[in-house]
Amino acid sequence: MTGTPYPKEQMHRIAYTKLSEEQIASKLSTVGLGGPASASPLSNAFAGESVRIVTDKGPTLAYTFGPTNRLSVTVNNGGAVEAGYGALTLSSVTLLSHIIPGTQRGYAVVIDRDTSLATVIELWFSGYPDNREVQREIYYGYIEQPGQPAPKNRQRTTNRVEGKGFYWKQDTGAETLEFYPSAAYSHFVELSRLGGELGFCGPSDYIQINDDLYIYTRTECEFSGTFTTYVMDLNRIEQIGMRLGFDANDALEYYVFRGKGEWLGQLAHFEKFGDETGAPVPAAAAGETPAKGARRVYRPLKTMPKMSEAEVDAVCAKKTTAFAPASGPGASMAGNLGPSTGWLAGKTLTLRYDNAPAMEYRFDDAETLQWRKEGDGSWTKARYQAWESMPGVILFGHLLEGTPNHDGHSVVADFHQGLVTCFNGYLNTPYFANEAGVRTLFGVIEMEGLIPPKYNRHYFTDEMVGRAVSQNYAPGLTSMHLYSTPHSLSWIIFTNSDAGGLEWSGPAAYVKIRDGLYFLYWLEEACNGTLGTILVNLHTMRDVGVGYHCGEAGLSMSAVGAHERLAGRFDIVRFYQVKTSGRTL
Amino acid sequence: MSKNTKPTRRSFLKGSALLAVPLAAAAPAAVIAEDQLKARLARLEDEAAIRDLHQTWLRGVNARAADTVRPLFADPKSTRLDQTVRTVAADHAGQPDTIEVSADSESAAGQFPCTVEIETAIPQDCTLARMAHAQGSGFVRRIERRVLKVEYVKASGAWAIAKVEFAPV
Repeated sequence: MTGTPYPKEQMHRIAYTKLSEEQIASKLSTVGLGGPASASPLSNAFAGESVRIVTDKGPTLAYTFGPTNRLSVTVNNGGAVEAGYGALTLSSVTLLSHIIPGTQRGYAVVIDRDTSLATVIELWFSGYPDNREVQREIYYGYIEQPGQPAPKNRQRTTNRVEGKGFYWKQDTGAETLEFYPSAAYSHFVELSRLGGELGFCGPSDYIQINDDLYIYTRTECEFSGTFTTYVMDLNRIEQIGMRLGFDANDALEYYVFRGKGEWLGQLAHFEKFGDETGAPVPAAAAGETPAKGARRVYRPLKTMPKMSEAEVDAVCAKKTTAFAPASGPGASMAGNLGPSTGWLAGKTLTLRYDNAPAMEYRFDDAETLQWRKEGDGSWTKARYQAWESMPGVILFGHLLEGTPNHDGHSVVADFHQGLVTCFNGYLNTPYFANEAGVRTLFGVIEMEGLIPPKYNRHYFTDEMVGRAVSQNYAPGLTSMHLYSTPHSLSWIIFTNSDAGGLEWSGPAAYVKIRDGLYFLYWLEEACNGTLGTILVNLHTMRDVGVGYHCGEAGLSMSAVGAHERLAGRFDIVRFYQVKTSGRTL
Repeated sequence: MSKNTKPTRRSFLKGSALLAVPLAAAAPAAVIAEDQLKARLARLEDEAAIRDLHQTWLRGVNARAADTVRPLFADPKSTRLDQTVRTVAADHAGQPDTIEVSADSESAAGQFPCTVEIETAIPQDCTLARMAHAQGSGFVRRIERRVLKVEYVKASGAWAIAKVEFAPV
C-alpha cells in the first residue's frame, strides 16, 4: 500500500499561516545569495556578459553575469548588488530569476536574444495584507545596444493563449493540467501534488514573445500566494519557468524548472474577430490610476458571510423564499429561463431513492406541492417550479421547510424511464454553517401507470469532463463552465468585450440522464456557499436548474436558465482514469 | 452681445420686398423693418447662444464632467442627469433640431433628436453578477433613439438650462 495522492485539506480549505514580514525575510535570507534551486542544469547563456535592460515606465536593470550562477545588478543606476541567480534557456529565450539579498524583492526576467526584447517581472512579498501573497509588476523593455536606437516593438499582453490547455510535467516531477480559458485568469489541476481531485484558479498574465513563445504567470491568491511564471513554446510544448512562494507548511519554494507537456485542445474565443488584446480586466476602476502591482483579484472568502448554525437557523426562520418574483434573490440567473410546465399538477407519486428515505408527493397545482418522507404522517406544503427540458424529463425543485438542515431538493425525473436523480442540498456543513453541502440521490419513480426499472439507474458520468459550455443567463451576464475534473468545475465571467475575465471553481459532479442531457451541480465552497444545479441539454443548448443559497438575507431557492454555446473540449479524461483515481467512471 | 451679423438670404428677400411698397409708406415701413430686423437678430443670437449652451452641455455629459455641466444650469440642484445615461449623440437621421424662444426672450424650449447610450447595472444578486462587477463589468449598455427636450431660462442676460428630459421618439 502506498496510500492515496490526496491532501488532508484541499487548497481552499487550508488555513495558511499569516506569515509576518520578519518570518518571510528570515525564510528568504539564504536564497538572495544562493539563487533558486533547479532540478535541471542551469543555463550559462549570459556568463561573462554585461546586459543593460531598459524598460518602459519601469526600472533599468544593469546586470553583470559571473561565470557561474552569480550576478551583480544595479537598479536605476543605484549601487551594485551581488546575488545568486538561476537561468534556463528555451530556443532564443532565457528566463532568469534572482532575489535582491536582504530584501523581500526579486525579479523574473525573460530575454529574447533574437529581438533583444525583454520582459521584467518585479516580485515582492509583504505588499498585501496577507504578506505571503507574492505581488508582481510587469515591465516591457529591451536590451540596450550601445549606439543603437531603442527598438519600437515590445513583448506585449495578448489573448492569443486564451482557450488553450496543456498537461505539464516539470523536471521536479510535478504534474499539472493547466487551462487558460480566460485572458486574465487561469485554472490548474495539481495531478501529482493534490491527486487531481479538484481544480483551482488564479489571476494570470499572458504575454506574447512571438507566434510560438508566450510568457504565463499565475499567483495563487486566496491560497498559498505562490507565484509561478513560465515561458512556453506552444509547438514544442516545452516550458522554462520559476516558482516562488511558501507551501502549506510554510516552507519556501524558490526554484526554476523545465517542463514538457501535451497539448490538450483549444476552446473558442468569444471576442470579436481581430481583437487580440490582452489584459481585458482593467487593473483599477475607470478614471483611477492603478497602484504598482494592482490587478483585479476575485477574493470570495473575504466577502462571504460566515454564519454559525444558530445564525443559519435564525435567518431561515426569518426569511425563506422559493422562486421569488423576478426581482428576488438570484433573479439575474433566470433571464433566459424557458417556460415552466404544469404537467405535474394533480399528480401523486413517490420518489424511491436507493440511499435516502422515499419522498411522497402530491402536486396540488403548477406551483404548489405537498411532500412527506415515507412513513411520516403529515404533509408539508411547498412552493415549487418545474421545467420539461426534454420530452418526459422534468426538473423541479423545492425547499424542505422544517428539516433540521433546511434541505432543498433539485430533482430530475425521467417519466419515460421511471428514473429519478436528486441533488439534496443542505446547510449546517462543517466549515461554515451557511455553506451548502450536497448529497446525490439515485432512485426510481413510483406512480400509477408507470413501472420503474429494478436495476437501471441514472449514473455519474465523465462525458462532460473536458467540455466548456458558455451560459448566457441574461443580457450582460454570461459565463462559461469548464468541466475540468470529474469532481470540480470552473466558471469564467466574460468581460464586456466578451473576453474571459475573472474565474473561480468549486466541487462538482455530473450525472447522465440521457444522451445529450446531463444533470450537474457545483458547490461555491469558500466562496458564496451556493449550491448550483443545472440540467444541461446539449441538443437545445439550453440549461435549466435551481440555485440553493443561504446568506444574511435568508434561505432561497431560485430558478436558473441560460442559453448555451459549446466552446470546445479538452482531451483530459484519460488523466483522471489513469493518473489519479485508476478507475473508470 | 455682438450686434454684427451677416445678411441672410431671407433678410435680403425681406429687404427687397420692402423696397416694393409705395413711397408714401416708406418712412414708417422702414422703422418697422428695422424693429423686425432687430428682433430677428436678437432671436438668432438667442438661438445661437442656446445652441452653444447645448453643445457645451453635450460635451460635459459625454465626458461625465460634472464640473463642466453644473454651471450650465440655472439651479445647480437640477444638474443631476440620469446616471444610466452614458453618452448622448445627435441623431442626424431624426427630425431637425428646434429651438423656440419665447416672445419676451426670457425662456426657450429646445427639442433635439438624439441617440442615448443607456447603461443599466446588473443587480448583484448572484455570484456571477458580483464577479462581473468585481472586474469592472456588470452592466448592460444599449442605444436608444430619444428626443432631448430642454427648457432654458435667461438669467442675468445669459441662457441657462432649467430642465432636461429624454422623451421617447
